[in-house]
Amino acid sequence: MVLKKLEDLKGIVANEPIKKLVLAAAQDQHSLSAVLRAWKDGIIEPILVGDKEAIQNISIANGYDITGLRIIHEPDTDMAVEMAVKIASSKQADVLMKGKVGSSTLLKCVLNKEWGLRTGNLLSHIALFEVDTYHKLIAVTDVAMNIAPNLKDKIAIVNNSVLCLNKLGISLPKVAVLGAVEMVNENMEATLDAALLSKMNQRDQIRNCIIDGPLAFDNAVSLESAQVKGIRSEVAGDTDLLLMPDIEVGNVLYKSLVFFAKAKVAAVILGAQVPIVLTSRSDSEQAKYDSILLAAAASKRI
Amino acid sequence: MVAKVLSSKRKFRIAVAWAQDSNTVGAIQKAVNDGFAEAIMIGNGSEIVRLCESISFKKELYTIIESGNESAASQDAVSLVKSGQADIVMKGLVRTDKFLKAVMDKENGLMLPGATLTYVGAMEIPAYHKLLFITDTAVIPFPSLDQKIAMAEYAIEMARNFGIEKPKVALIGASEKMSRHFENSVDYAIMCKMTERGQIKNCIMDGPLDIFLACDKKSAAIKGIETPINGDADILLFPSLEASNPFYKGLMLFGKGELGGIIRGTSKPVVLMSRSESEKSKYYCIALACLMI
Repeated sequence: MVLKKLEDLKGIVANEPIKKLVLAAAQDQHSLSAVLRAWKDGIIEPILVGDKEAIQNISIANGYDITGLRIIHEPDTDMAVEMAVKIASSKQADVLMKGKVGSSTLLKCVLNKEWGLRTGNLLSHIALFEVDTYHKLIAVTDVAMNIAPNLKDKIAIVNNSVLCLNKLGISLPKVAVLGAVEMVNENMEATLDAALLSKMNQRDQIRNCIIDGPLAFDNAVSLESAQVKGIRSEVAGDTDLLLMPDIEVGNVLYKSLVFFAKAKVAAVILGAQVPIVLTSRSDSEQAKYDSILLAAAASKRI
Repeated sequence: MVAKVLSSKRKFRIAVAWAQDSNTVGAIQKAVNDGFAEAIMIGNGSEIVRLCESISFKKELYTIIESGNESAASQDAVSLVKSGQADIVMKGLVRTDKFLKAVMDKENGLMLPGATLTYVGAMEIPAYHKLLFITDTAVIPFPSLDQKIAMAEYAIEMARNFGIEKPKVALIGASEKMSRHFENSVDYAIMCKMTERGQIKNCIMDGPLDIFLACDKKSAAIKGIETPINGDADILLFPSLEASNPFYKGLMLFGKGELGGIIRGTSKPVVLMSRSESEKSKYYCIALACLMI
């Protein structure tokens, strides 16, 4: 399956029973507006945990209709987050979303050993971009969560991301391991890791995808550029997933796509029992809405 | 191999260091009789003559240079080659370390600047369908990534001299899986990618592979491993001397294998083998060295 627009994710969600999203510390105008829009569009069914009075005040001030919405009143932020996580870990919700609470507080609860959402996997961030100049959606990882992943981390990040893309119907995603050059260079750690990941994929130690790397950014996304360089690769020019060497490269790429290429983006945290929507205040409302859509699609059970 | 040497219609001058060894003298005699070698024997003259007479190797067919001890004989042999008076230097009854000291001497030796000194052998094994090139069975105990790349490149060069345009290089491990416990598998993955990207040229490479996957078609089919080597390796690159040395010695003892090998990384071919090796193996080594000129 080829996904060209983030909008196409709606097709996946429509074929599944409606997913429940629990919003932790829901008294937050930014996330609330996106959640309510997704609710109205039939993408998710929200459960709000937070200060009921504050939620009602925001709704009145912004003209939101919250009739029939399930709200669990918990004015204390820490308690609200704990309750939201517990709702997800007891399988009463399929997606967890951050409201008016710091990311670190939320993640601490997610990682709680007794009642959190741990799976034993590394948590990682995936961002799915719709860029006019590319022929399909392209995912980028990890631009927000893992700072300087080592080889073991990179394997976990690829596995998280591939599982997510599989759920979106991309059965054999093409993974480009990014470097500054397409050649193996002993002085560039990223190119060595890329060679190892490729070989592990050939040996079926990393499954359900095709990995090639190192590839420079241009080789990864442009067949012409790969051909000019004489690179023979199944991935070059048709990448579904770009694996970043570290967070600095990833973050800069993410932001340049958004600011210079006017890309649309959806992002979630993977590796927990449910996808987590962890958007930041500076994200557009559309990005929050699309992230909810991605999380709903990625929570598909397979 | 010998036919290929003869087709060059050249006579190669061989300087033998500390030549008073019957297997060495026998191998030299065969090479001279076959018409592709001239011999310069360095060492204890009367002892050499006695050995040669015992196998009816006629005195007019070789030259003797008198030398007092192993080290001096090695230095003399090396300097003959360095000055162009001989083409190949060969180890006789000298201990390997003394011999290599003369070869590696910074001023008077034969080292190419920056080159890796390593060893490539060509092995004839009755149970295998073609010659098998193996490296490194003699010099580098635990090769680094750079040294492994050099080993591969020398072996590829040698196989190409034998007319194998794109030799299949199997990087040998205990298993075909990548594992953090086997550091060599990490180097191997890097080398495969370098080959894919054209940084190592003129070969088809895969690894880690065990010997079965490298040399036995049936194993690859049974294991369901897709590898371009597929039981048809031309070159086996070993992770260490401890792996390669028993491999070839085991084959010589139990598998009727014969090995010819030479040192690489030098400006001129250097023939070096274990003192206990057979006359036939030594003869093959000489032929191989002639081919590499």
